[in-house]
Amino acid sequence: MQPTDNPGREQILQRIGAALRTPSPHGSDAVSGEFFEPITNSLERFQQECAGNLMECTLTSDSASSALQLAKVLDSLPEGEVFVQDDPMLRQILPTANPARPIQWSSEGAPREASQATITLADALIAQTGSILVSASCGGRGASIIAPCHIVYATLAQLVPDLQTALANAYRQGILDRNSFACVISGSSRTADIEKILIQGAHGPRRLVVILQREN
Amino acid sequence: MSATRAQRFLHDAAIKSADLVHREIIRHGIDSYDASVLRGRARFKDWQSARRKCQQIKQDAINHLDKYLLQFEEKVIARGGHVFWAEDAEQACTYITHVAGQLGVRNVVKSKSMVTEEIHLSPALEKLGIKVWETDLGEFIVQLRNEPPYHIVTPAMHLNRHQISDLFSEKLGERISGDDPGQLVALARRKLRQAFFSAEMGISGANFIVADAGGIAITTNEGNGRLCTSVPRIHVVVTGIEKVVPRLEDLALFWPMLATSGTGQPITTYSTLIGGPRRRGEVDGPEEFHVVLVDNGRSKLLEDAEQREVLHCIRCGACLNICPVYRHIGGHAYGTTYPGPIGSVLTPHLNGLEQFKHLSYASSLCGACTSVCPVSIDLHHHLLHNRRNAVSQGKTNFAERMSFRAWRFVVLHPRIYRLAGWLGRTTLRLLYRLGLAGSILDPMRPWNRGRAPMPLPTESFRSRWRRHLAAN
Repeated sequence: MQPTDNPGREQILQRIGAALRTPSPHGSDAVSGEFFEPITNSLERFQQECAGNLMECTLTSDSASSALQLAKVLDSLPEGEVFVQDDPMLRQILPTANPARPIQWSSEGAPREASQATITLADALIAQTGSILVSASCGGRGASIIAPCHIVYATLAQLVPDLQTALANAYRQGILDRNSFACVISGSSRTADIEKILIQGAHGPRRLVVILQREN
Repeated sequence: MSATRAQRFLHDAAIKSADLVHREIIRHGIDSYDASVLRGRARFKDWQSARRKCQQIKQDAINHLDKYLLQFEEKVIARGGHVFWAEDAEQACTYITHVAGQLGVRNVVKSKSMVTEEIHLSPALEKLGIKVWETDLGEFIVQLRNEPPYHIVTPAMHLNRHQISDLFSEKLGERISGDDPGQLVALARRKLRQAFFSAEMGISGANFIVADAGGIAITTNEGNGRLCTSVPRIHVVVTGIEKVVPRLEDLALFWPMLATSGTGQPITTYSTLIGGPRRRGEVDGPEEFHVVLVDNGRSKLLEDAEQREVLHCIRCGACLNICPVYRHIGGHAYGTTYPGPIGSVLTPHLNGLEQFKHLSYASSLCGACTSVCPVSIDLHHHLLHNRRNAVSQGKTNFAERMSFRAWRFVVLHPRIYRLAGWLGRTTLRLLYRLGLAGSILDPMRPWNRGRAPMPLPTESFRSRWRRHLAAN
């Protein structure tokens, strides 16, 4: 499309500028300090929060046990294609995990609607809220939302204590300059729009599985 | 003559407050919310300090609004996105319908956005023959009922599972046995999946405009916002200009505050950041990214330094849930896009004081709204400011002005005041004895017609006071 013609832009900016010449009578003293209790044990907190978010989190010791865990999760899923982020680490463990299952790699295109699961890495894990931070580089936007099950393969070194740290790192690394999209995911898709009853799997994954490996 | 907005409000509020089924549904919903919010707040070390911090961040954002909007715009354009500044609803709708027309859009999927309700975007698209799907479950339900959202966070809060099951059966042609909420959700998922994968355009709002990172932040639990912004080839964001936060790091506090105040969750399931269209080498995502920054009266509100802080609102809905008026009359009776205390403060600014000044009186001035606002907006005092402005700008009607003149005359003349009090008590007592309480002859009709008659005092306050002094 052509660059946007913006007849209202200058008018709005002029009105804002004129309005702000009158200073606001409301002022408040600078507020500082901690707004959340400090996190002493990030791993323990992450596992607790994952349980609270109805996520499945399994701690593994090395890539062999991660592959075993991944195989278990894949075995529990219905037959069908799995979408996988095209990354050397995942290329290495996936054949061991489930050699028979058809795989669509992210380098071949976006996940298909019929995918039974998606397997991706994460940019970070956040202990405070039991969240995973993904960006477009983790297999694209659809990789964490289209299939009924999203499996995340991460290492303990990626765990940060809180949102503040995660967002400060993300900003420093220019997350939105390098990716068009990023998302802090804190559980499976859900709704409570009917009588406040919690139902999982509203539009996105019903299961969010984190395989958390101690070693890099 | 058609009823005024104020008359319609009084009429609809009277019906809803007497509807016991409606009140029971709302009570159940809000009781559940209250319990969650208490648990959510307990996760904060100091909730009050966190509120003050949010207030401070929004003050900075609003007091440097032009600077931050330009910072955001520059980044989005540099990444290949488009930013359109709409002075009013018409400009916003014209731009979006033009984009839709130019890019051959026939189907649109929308995630929940109050600004799109405010500018009446869906009717504008439908006029061009474009099919619009609301994809948030609550919004989908109220769209099927051809109703506006009932609440800014939970749009179908006024309906129970049986009503929703009947609706789905009638409109979607499938009956869910036992009205199981899980199956109702599954049915909506199946229907909306087809829409997500056939739509050319996804429309979302933005919970925040992040200036330093040059992105928008959207929060959803269902994931419909994720699908709307991932699958279609065009993504249009419609947002008010006031949604700015200066820094990405500010979301470390705003995301938990919004989630806790909105639903009681520690954080919403999907807290998404989007900075532009799909980049080279990315697997998927829209090729077109348009942000429509809507003014529509906001810069006028910014001129009012006294009430400027109303623009700090993050649309969490906490003031609606705590408000005793909202709890009784619900969201639709207000007849506005934004119901509840924030709506009563904001609507006269966006849609005119003349027509909406009555909303300033839809409050007991208890201050509960102010006490729960996560950005500490002094809501009940702003309702008083709007009342004062309506009077000082001569927006009151003749009967009201005469009534207050008469009242002033009476209270300035003690003998007449005593006589008026005696006459009032005697007349009401007589009417009650004749069984005419709540009838058209009863001056207390607005109160008495839906309730047991208000008990009458046997003597005036002045005589009780005199007796009390004599006794002591």
